[in-house]
Amino acid sequence: MQGLDTLAEKDDRIMLVCADSLLAMRATDFVQKYPDRYVEVGIAEQNAAATSAGLAIEGLIPFFATYAGFITMRACEQIRTFIAYPNLNVKMAGVNGGIAAGEREGVTHQFFEDIGILRTIANITILVPADADQARQATIAAAGIPGPVYIRLGSGRDPVVFEKNSPFIPFKINIMQKNGNDIALFGNGVLLPRLIKASKILSDKGIGVTLVEVHTVKPLDIEGITKVLKDCGAAVTAEDHNIIGGLGSAIMETAAENYPVPIERIGLRDKFPSSGLPDELLDYYEMSVNDIVKAAQKAITRKNSTKK
Amino acid sequence: MTERITRLNTMATQLRRDVVNCIYHAGDGHPGPCMSIIDILTALYFDVMRLDSNDPKWNKRDRFILSKGHACPALYAALARKGYINPAELKTLRALGSRLQGHPVPKDTPGVEATSGSLGHGLSQGCGMAIAARRRGDDCLVFVLTGDGELNEGIIWEAAMTIPKYKLTNLIAIIDNNGIQSGGKVDVISNLYPLREKWEGFGWYVVDLDGHNMKEITLALEKAAKRGRASREEREGMEIVSNQAPPLPDQPIIFIASTIKGKGIPYMEGNNAWHKRVPTDEEHQIAMEILGGLDLE
Repeated sequence: MQGLDTLAEKDDRIMLVCADSLLAMRATDFVQKYPDRYVEVGIAEQNAAATSAGLAIEGLIPFFATYAGFITMRACEQIRTFIAYPNLNVKMAGVNGGIAAGEREGVTHQFFEDIGILRTIANITILVPADADQARQATIAAAGIPGPVYIRLGSGRDPVVFEKNSPFIPFKINIMQKNGNDIALFGNGVLLPRLIKASKILSDKGIGVTLVEVHTVKPLDIEGITKVLKDCGAAVTAEDHNIIGGLGSAIMETAAENYPVPIERIGLRDKFPSSGLPDELLDYYEMSVNDIVKAAQKAITRKNSTKK
Repeated sequence: MTERITRLNTMATQLRRDVVNCIYHAGDGHPGPCMSIIDILTALYFDVMRLDSNDPKWNKRDRFILSKGHACPALYAALARKGYINPAELKTLRALGSRLQGHPVPKDTPGVEATSGSLGHGLSQGCGMAIAARRRGDDCLVFVLTGDGELNEGIIWEAAMTIPKYKLTNLIAIIDNNGIQSGGKVDVISNLYPLREKWEGFGWYVVDLDGHNMKEITLALEKAAKRGRASREEREGMEIVSNQAPPLPDQPIIFIASTIKGKGIPYMEGNNAWHKRVPTDEEHQIAMEILGGLDLE
């Protein structure tokens, strides 16, 4: 939970609510510095969510932090009815988002439905920062966004994507590369390094790529995304999440309503994964660099066949 | 009976009339669960709680959470007679766009402090609110009224652990122990009893209360409120009821109020058909004759 102490220094409304998740969130330093800003309710996520609601009703800004799935599944109704419905200023930070971040723990601690679940609940902003420093910035940004915000975090050992202090600007897509307009690659989180590699391979084959980071999954930058879709005419989405409900679904919805183009999705293909090492898992479950390259080529072929 | 108790009992009768009218006009709602809490609500809103209806967001006000949100017509009636909303607005209960939603939400209804209706969540929200009040250094209190049926919910017992942990003596909990939940008797539906020992085991100070005896309710709640605003030193040895050793200074208090579902309207009392039912014209008329008081104008 880097960034939380920066916030707490300036704003005495900032609180941390844990469900015996202090170590998992690596927030012990925060608690040493601000012991009276820490509410520990024990392994009781529903209680943590509803207690956070109570703090927020009184004008405080609680960060409810634990594993992504225990927030979004165990406490789903508490988030929906007691935080999102009254539009309270509760921030939720979920670690182990995705199969790579859950890695050796197995399915009980790999969470690949979180974004799909929260996306169907009104009022919630969903942020998916790419690496640790981006997560720090997303945490700081979340405090400034009114209403509930969910920050999807990885394992803390995720590959570094951006240089330190690269800006994290919520709500807008981040166009990382524009080498041409044969294909748009949309992605976020732990899959970004793979998209960068795939982009290089495609460019080497003479295929022009527009590489876009979509770290704000809700509300989606519909205008920005539609513009890229119009420019490229074909797209691939990539996320460490079930292909149902996450970024891929969101972009397909946007495309279908605004500018339909062939789109291929990269993600977990609606199945339960195994334990394993992060890279090994992503490769095995069809999220490899090669899978992205093939998906791009397929989308381009579909685009070209539609033209004829 | 003192004049004050008579006045409070008259108000309770008025709120019962308002609830019947409210549900009759709306054509929907839960009258039985409202009636069992009316006397407690009256004591809180018209005697015990520190409130200013002209300033619903006043920082130092006491907070009330109706955890059993389906009894909200009773809460809305109390808010109306306390001056937060116009009594005529009670007729809009459950209507499209009404501030009086089917279950409460603290968005634009003045006086509603927390969302409720999905059962079990009052104590946890109250826990957060009481921690926040402590942080501010305000001596305001958080009252949480739960049903007995909703004690089936696991989150209740999660909060039952957290509130004593944080020594939240500024939170006062009350169980509306009317003995009947939606599907039948609470001791048949699940293994609820013994209640006292359960709460004591979690570190609470438990007080039994006759939930329809205004004198007893006000006396006990006033003492609990005084204790809730007191310093730790002052709380030492502070008695709540004469037949029981005083609570330890850091113990939160929970009242187990014996109540009757449907109380005050003979054809509703103890009859669970009135958990959720709308009075017919004739039943409405009978209730009006029994209750007296003002209509919703």
